Amino acid sequence: MFQIPGLLFWLVVIPYCIGMVPAALLAEERRDPGFLMLAGYFTMWALYGTVTIPVVLFVKYDNFIIASDCFMVLSILCAAGGVGLMYRRRKNSVTDHGRTAFADYMRQMPWAERLEWMLFLILLGFQLYKAAVYASFDGDDAYYVVESLIAQQADTMYSILPYTGRHTGLDIRHALAVFPMWIAFVADKSHIHATILSHTVLPLVLVPLGYLVYYEIGRVLFKERPADGEQVFCRENLPAFMILMAMFQIFGNVSIYTNETFFLTRTWQGKAVAGSLVIPALLWLFLLLNQRPDRQDKPDRRRHRAKKRDGGGVRFPRAGLWFLLVCVNMTAGICSSIAVFLVSVLMAAAAFCLAIVERDYKVVIRMGAVCIPNAVYVLTYLLVAYGYLLR
Amino acid sequence: MWGIFLESVVIFKNYMGFHEKNWLAFLYLGILLYLWFAEKDRRRRAIFVYVPTLLLALFFCPLFRKLFVRLLDDSETYYRLLWLLQMSLVSAYGMIKLCARHRRTGLALMCALIVAGGNYVYDSEHISRAENAYHLPQETIDIVDLIEPEEGRITVLVPADLIYYIRQYSTNIELPYGREMLIARWDYYNAMYEAMEKAEVIETETFVELAREYPCAYIVLKEDRKLAEPLTEYGYERFGQVGEFVVYKDTETGSHR
Repeated sequence: MFQIPGLLFWLVVIPYCIGMVPAALLAEERRDPGFLMLAGYFTMWALYGTVTIPVVLFVKYDNFIIASDCFMVLSILCAAGGVGLMYRRRKNSVTDHGRTAFADYMRQMPWAERLEWMLFLILLGFQLYKAAVYASFDGDDAYYVVESLIAQQADTMYSILPYTGRHTGLDIRHALAVFPMWIAFVADKSHIHATILSHTVLPLVLVPLGYLVYYEIGRVLFKERPADGEQVFCRENLPAFMILMAMFQIFGNVSIYTNETFFLTRTWQGKAVAGSLVIPALLWLFLLLNQRPDRQDKPDRRRHRAKKRDGGGVRFPRAGLWFLLVCVNMTAGICSSIAVFLVSVLMAAAAFCLAIVERDYKVVIRMGAVCIPNAVYVLTYLLVAYGYLLR
Repeated sequence: MWGIFLESVVIFKNYMGFHEKNWLAFLYLGILLYLWFAEKDRRRRAIFVYVPTLLLALFFCPLFRKLFVRLLDDSETYYRLLWLLQMSLVSAYGMIKLCARHRRTGLALMCALIVAGGNYVYDSEHISRAENAYHLPQETIDIVDLIEPEEGRITVLVPADLIYYIRQYSTNIELPYGREMLIARWDYYNAMYEAMEKAEVIETETFVELAREYPCAYIVLKEDRKLAEPLTEYGYERFGQVGEFVVYKDTETGSHR
């Protein structure tokens, strides 16, 4: 029972408040609770990687305690900063705007659409029930879950071989992907066994978080109200989209390799998070950054000056999205080293295609700049893995 | 190059589960083709049509595969490139676009197609009702609770059935060998593993000698595991039994660390 406040604090309150930092850089209309939660998780994970990876590389003894203490202080500071920033912009801020928009949406919703949402929630509830009540065996848990448990029980990161318990040198392929250490951190601070956290608690958080990404994607895709002839871009399609997404997850087990299979059977592993949260989040941000500009997205100096007098308004309303894109790329790094390569390929492919359709080469430069943390990560990997060649 | 291309084709077929007669991939490819003609918004076209097509082309490109394997020193994970396609996302978007005018009928039809072409994840042989909050076999927990020292760590020799789980419950239990021995393609050798798992009848004398080299404080054996001579004749005592597993304690060596 005593673990629940700790879990709520580290899995809900802290990410939500951290999410207010990038949200403060966005136009007010974008600051809804779903966005805050997702932005908070990706920013928090990016922060975790930034703090923990240097500690793994440079500190030998009790490195888990040092990384945990540093991250705890920084994350609380970020969360407090987020709350402070949002408080400064409290006029028309997330709570009021989000609540009003949601209330309007609920009021206007026809019964058939409500029924579709009910169906989606039943499908989601079914997946959560299965995640909590059914155990999914995966051999990789003998590595990843045990790594988390070693950190929790022995206060050390990546210096003990999970399979046997003997001491070992730094395995760079796994040591830079510190997602199991984040699990150990939450387990340690919430006083819960890392295996229980991984197998029973985290699916109840990460599966809804995955659907939150799909929901946000759906909100961008089905944003506009029904217009003459074109029926596809209307909000009424959103529950149907979510139902299809849920069906794909449940029946997407066409082989053991699909990201859908990973999502529901190995939810707590970094690679599953990369496949089902990080990559869709990149697509979500591509859509947000490349949708037809709304009025609130345009940098408007006059409007900015007017808003600044009221304490609201931001000059570059998309800065938060670019910041978030960097954080999502950094999250790939804490999930798995291969994920860094994958997201870099996706970024390159998207930059190439968008530059062609936009006839604007600057897209490539901007997307390239976002990938700088990925380049630093790869360089670190290569230096540690092949550094002996330079000696 | 042709050989590398064919390898990519095999990886693609395995990923899509063609050998299991799952055809969700055809649904995806059909939707992608439909979006090539139907998607008019150039930015969405870039993200939902051009990018997946380019990634598919890259996946089958032998040069790209060579680069991937060279850079990451790993050919087994090449299939993860297909995660970038986000098939379910693109398919769901295309389906909604296709059935926008008859959404409810279309939704029912599409759900039926997904059920028919896919595979129900909870039918997997790897999913079973959890016995506890750890989602580990209860026998593992009972054995560790029986032998775990209050302080320090001990080495314990356990059968292959328990190797995956035992250290997920307590890292105070060390193992002479781990999961690496159970994956044949990794091709490791360990004399203790050979003596424990490979021999039809355990050669007790050499077995005990090897176990004491670590030294193993306890040996866990399946009840029906055949031994040339009983362990009790070599300084072990029968410490307890959990389900089908019998726990022996080494009384001759001090094995706590």
